[in-house]
Amino acid sequence: MREQQLQDILRHMPAGVATLQGPELRYGFVNDAMQAVLGSPITEGQSVMEQPGIIPADLLDVMQQVYQRGQPYIAKAYCLPLADNNDGTTAPQRYYDVALEPVREGGSQVTGLLLFAMDVTGQEEARQRTHELAIETRRLDTRLRVLTETVPQITFTVDAAGTYEYVSPQWHYFTGQPTTADLNIIWPLLIHPDDRLRVLYQTEAARSAGVGWSYEYRLRRHDGQYRWMLSRALPELHAPDKAVFWHGALTEIHDQRELAEVLRRGEAELRFLADSIPELIWTATAEGFIDYYNKYSGEYSGLSGEELGPAGWISLLSPAEQAGAARRWIHSVATGESYEGLYRMRRHDGRYRWHIIRARQLTDARGLRWFGACTDVDDQHRLRQVLQTQYDELARTNRDLDTFVYTASHDLKQPLLNLRGLFDELRRTASFNDPQEEEIVVMVDDALYQLDLTLQDLAATVQDQRGLSAPAEPLDLRSVTEEVLLGLRTQVQESGAVLELDFEQVPTLTYGRANLRSILHNLLSNALKFAHPERTPHVLLRSTLADSGNPILIVQDNGRGMILPEEPAPVFQPFTRQHPQIGGAGVGMYLVQRIISSRGGHLEVASVIDEGTTFIIHWFDALNA
Amino acid sequence: MIHIIYISRAVRPLSDQDLQGLLAQCRRDNERNNVTGVLFYSHGNIAQLIEGEAETLNPLFEIISRDGRHSNVNKLISKPIGARSFPDWSMAFHPLEPNGFEALQGFLLPTHITPPPSSLTIADAMLLDLVKLAVFGVEPLAPKSI
Ligand SMILES: Cc1cc2nc3c(=O)[nH]c(=O)nc-3n(C[C@H](O)[C@H](O)[C@H](O)COP(=O)(O)O)c2cc1C
Repeated sequence: MREQQLQDILRHMPAGVATLQGPELRYGFVNDAMQAVLGSPITEGQSVMEQPGIIPADLLDVMQQVYQRGQPYIAKAYCLPLADNNDGTTAPQRYYDVALEPVREGGSQVTGLLLFAMDVTGQEEARQRTHELAIETRRLDTRLRVLTETVPQITFTVDAAGTYEYVSPQWHYFTGQPTTADLNIIWPLLIHPDDRLRVLYQTEAARSAGVGWSYEYRLRRHDGQYRWMLSRALPELHAPDKAVFWHGALTEIHDQRELAEVLRRGEAELRFLADSIPELIWTATAEGFIDYYNKYSGEYSGLSGEELGPAGWISLLSPAEQAGAARRWIHSVATGESYEGLYRMRRHDGRYRWHIIRARQLTDARGLRWFGACTDVDDQHRLRQVLQTQYDELARTNRDLDTFVYTASHDLKQPLLNLRGLFDELRRTASFNDPQEEEIVVMVDDALYQLDLTLQDLAATVQDQRGLSAPAEPLDLRSVTEEVLLGLRTQVQESGAVLELDFEQVPTLTYGRANLRSILHNLLSNALKFAHPERTPHVLLRSTLADSGNPILIVQDNGRGMILPEEPAPVFQPFTRQHPQIGGAGVGMYLVQRIISSRGGHLEVASVIDEGTTFIIHWFDALNA
Repeated sequence: MIHIIYISRAVRPLSDQDLQGLLAQCRRDNERNNVTGVLFYSHGNIAQLIEGEAETLNPLFEIISRDGRHSNVNKLISKPIGARSFPDWSMAFHPLEPNGFEALQGFLLPTHITPPPSSLTIADAMLLDLVKLAVFGVEPLAPKSI
């Protein structure tokens, strides 16, 4: 009964148990676990030596020796090749602690062996993994060491007490200190005296707070020179708030610092320079946002850089110019093209002054930036405008005089013709007895001929120059008027005149182009010139049809008005000037009248002193001219 | 009432989904807070104009500038305005897969951005144009592949 119980226990043990009997080592009892280890089914009495199954030769050998010598033996983590799976794939290797115990049945003679096999595959695999890990760790360790010893930085480890545990060989190389030197004593002594206290304090503070650090200080090099270093370290935490070590690196940043210092100094000098120049100077980012205005910009505009902001300069320009200037700046930023423009910029007192704004791109190691300057050209610009006005005035007077010469020569033709007729008549009817008189007649004849030629030449010269005799053509009244106004833009701008153009009813006119321009120019410039000093000039141009059905042009102003010569048909004489205090050659109105009548029309005028003048040009008097 | 314009860089490129999520959240929150404006996004470049009452806008800008999705937030301008220039809040970007987006409320293809409204001062309108240029580059028309 007890035997049976024992067998049951053995049978169900998780370790393999088997008995081997006699020198042939025949299987006796084999429990289930052992069966599973051995794979193929075992029958009692079967000899291991004859049918070893999966048991390798070396184990068989050991079994025999244990049997012969009667000494137990344990093979640790012995690898038993498992029987191949049924599907032919190789089964995984398994490891066993195999124990061989000699059995002595009734006496000292060994009669068999007890075989135990304990599956230790799990433990074995864990051990192997640990081993591999250890190798890997060693490898990483070596790599880390090679790296720490080859990077240019000095690396170090400090423990929680502030003691240097490790410093890479670069430290010795840099400082020239022997490897035997006591780091913890020497290191602080190598720090520049001006930096020492700060460094020691900062390190201490970071350590007690359990945080990393980053600071710069000067460290004495082997040659005695102090070099700027950047020290950075991070804590190694063993618990969330328990730093045990600080690992860090020391980088030499001397050159960078010197360079930065030079740049800082250079930048400060440039800024000083920019701030001393009485011109608006600014810089902008690659995106076109202004990031610096010099001091003068603030003085001129009365606004701080903050108030101006990255695009505020636009709001300093005269309102009419802002949109164009903004468009041009965006174009420059988009294309990289230099910026240039002439604008009026508002000064702190509200006055606008003309400025040339220029900006150029600079690309260097620090990227792309814009540099701009606004130069005050107000005085030059105003001078130029005055000159331009005077030039325009002179050109006009010159043109008027030409036209006058032309019309005068034309006007003289008729009297000359009359004179010649009279003279011919005189010669025919009167008799000359004196031969000398005969000579005089010839001379007069010659003189008259000369006069005729001269007049013709005169007329032809200016006629060609001015295109006054150009044939009539259909003209768009609005576009000719706008051309004329373009020439008068300074006068219009300065007087702030309001012009009302209404050509709707009769938009075109068949006329000589130069003549039309001359008429319009004279009438419009007079309207502006003789503006009333106390009100904004208001000039109306209306093209319409008279009751007769002929086209007329009404030019009405609200100016000074004038005293009209000789009612009812006023005629303008050359060189008469209504307002002697105002410039002009005094031939303008005479010409206008001459041109209009030479083309078959007439000029009507009404004027009230201090209220204004209205001219009505009747282009053609005959119907359908 | 004030408006704020800033530019920033996305910490990593925003996907269609990220953008769509941002669009939905901002439209909802901005409508509730009476905030209007426009956001531009392209290849990690971000710019935004927001307008509203100072009491809501200043704290909102604080929140936005601390948002971990972007960094280098550069406030270009923050100043009082007389009136709003944007009727609602919208977002302009190039989705990789534009099909579903066209119908989304508040979404704009960069090519459909209208010029700055005339209620902005010319200086502010120029700033918005520069910001748009900084985000989309010279040619917002051609969507580039990433
Ligand atoms: C580029 C960018 C723009 C944003 N714009 C807005 C915005 O206009 N309005 C808003 O409410 N949130 C905006 N946000 C989101 C906020 O930063 C923040 O995530 C959100 O308001 C938090 O909402 P919650 O507190 O409900 O989570 C923006 C975020 C980013 C990255």
